[in-house]
Amino acid sequence: MPLRTQIAMDTLVSIHVVRAGGDVDTAMERAFGWFHEIEDRCTRFRTQSELMQLSAQSGVAVPASTILYEAVHFAVTLAEESGGAFDPTVGHKMAARGFNREHRTGEVVRAAVGVDGDVTYRDVRLDPERRTITLLRPLTLDLGAVAKGLAVDAAARELVSFEDFAIDAGGDLYLGGVNPEGEPWRVGIRHPRIEGELITTLRVSNQAVCTSGDYERRGAGSDHHILNPRCGTSAGSVASATVMASGAMLADGLATAAFVLGPREGIALLDRLGVSGLIVTPELERYETGELPHAA
Amino acid sequence: MKKSGSVEGPGKQGSGKPGSGKVANGLVAMSCAGVLAVYAAGYVRTRSAAEQLDAQSVERRVAQDAPREESARAEVRPGENRQEERRAPESVPAASDPREIAELAPAPTVSNAPSPAPSHAPAVEVFEPAAAPAPVAVAPVAPVAVPVVSAPVAQAPVATPVPEPKLVAVSIVAPPAPAPAPPPAPKWKDGTYYGWGTSRHGDIQAEVVVAGGRIASATISDCRTRYPCSVIDRLPPEVAQRQSPEVDYISRATQSTNAFYYAVVEALGKAK
Repeated sequence: MPLRTQIAMDTLVSIHVVRAGGDVDTAMERAFGWFHEIEDRCTRFRTQSELMQLSAQSGVAVPASTILYEAVHFAVTLAEESGGAFDPTVGHKMAARGFNREHRTGEVVRAAVGVDGDVTYRDVRLDPERRTITLLRPLTLDLGAVAKGLAVDAAARELVSFEDFAIDAGGDLYLGGVNPEGEPWRVGIRHPRIEGELITTLRVSNQAVCTSGDYERRGAGSDHHILNPRCGTSAGSVASATVMASGAMLADGLATAAFVLGPREGIALLDRLGVSGLIVTPELERYETGELPHAA
Repeated sequence: MKKSGSVEGPGKQGSGKPGSGKVANGLVAMSCAGVLAVYAAGYVRTRSAAEQLDAQSVERRVAQDAPREESARAEVRPGENRQEERRAPESVPAASDPREIAELAPAPTVSNAPSPAPSHAPAVEVFEPAAAPAPVAVAPVAPVAVPVVSAPVAQAPVATPVPEPKLVAVSIVAPPAPAPAPPPAPKWKDGTYYGWGTSRHGDIQAEVVVAGGRIASATISDCRTRYPCSVIDRLPPEVAQRQSPEVDYISRATQSTNAFYYAVVEALGKAK
């Protein structure tokens, strides 16, 4: 029962394949490779990454790799869909609040350009024919959540032939098939306030689960790392937002959007998309969509 | 929308519909299509490009004067190194931060979890060892949505000395350049130049000082690799000795070596 862990994207990534066999080692290595590959392209923390090279230019149509193009495409579509609650152009605001250190070296990465305070996803244009990305104004894209989810999804495709497996990238999970006991995987959702307790446990098979919490990563002061793009300060009325969806990129992006939207609007968005989720407020009120498969 | 929990709030059903809604299921479909496109095209292309780059830089070395058997070894080495270098950090945070060890210690609360290989603390397990065993018994290695991996980890790799790789020069390249025959014109303009070189695990900036048309010194001015640049400490002086970016390879640090090489090449490019 191979289980391996590596560090990528500023978090621990572990992959667990239930039944060994065939070329499981190669498949796992390739699965991990996705995390490094996508991080290399999409990180905000290295001036040489494709993302930062793109961010250094504005007003020019820049040809993008498939990875970067699809990540930005998804991010912008989600931004439209969530009315800007999710916005990949918050990069400079994140950096301004101290979320600007490369996790591997501790180096502080400064944006090379002056950034207008009011840039939004509308300042990002995609050309699907020529596969180019144009930033209409100087801005720094942040693809953190999207890139990690995309890596999980790509890694999951590497492992499809093994049927039963689990990928965990710091809270972005994909659960393939069933657990070693032949049952759907059980995913505990951490209690947002009580260390070591669960708020619920879900039954999951061939789906991704992601939780955005206000307790994960904090900058100076009491800020957590999810920004409300509409006002530039950390979102406030949600303690954690959990989304279960067909893929981790979708689940992570929607969890982030729901976190910013707040319990009512967040659940409305998930319902409209036919995606399951659970939102817990700081007062520990729980809001959820219909078909959330709680374990008995 | 269903609300459960302790406090009833005023439910304003449907009040908060953000966005237009017209692309609703488009988002779900496009996320799947995006992943497929990346899987189908991205990896294959980028991977082969990366390997080509490795191959090229090995060739650059081999083409010079490496002994034949050395060159054969050098050809397989980059791939191996990449894997080794990637795998290396696994143990880093665990070793550096006792608190992390506690948090990541193998599944104490999940009693029926199959025990993983001892050296691979499962990140999926985030229960505090001290916490009461969750009676809900999150079954075999049930990953929990939000591991306790937080800010401390971000700094851990920085402060952590990576197990010092054993340094072995793969080949002793190029005897020191013979005292330069009076050049027709200085090869480089005097000044201080900077260049970046990139690798799969981070970037290196080189500072090259040209004085009197010759390389007076080369140093690593910014090290953003995952491993300390001390593993390639011996390389910068070679640039001035040889008046060339053609430095030796250092076994188990080929990525860093290449990054330094390209950084010097870029810096010297600016000196022309």
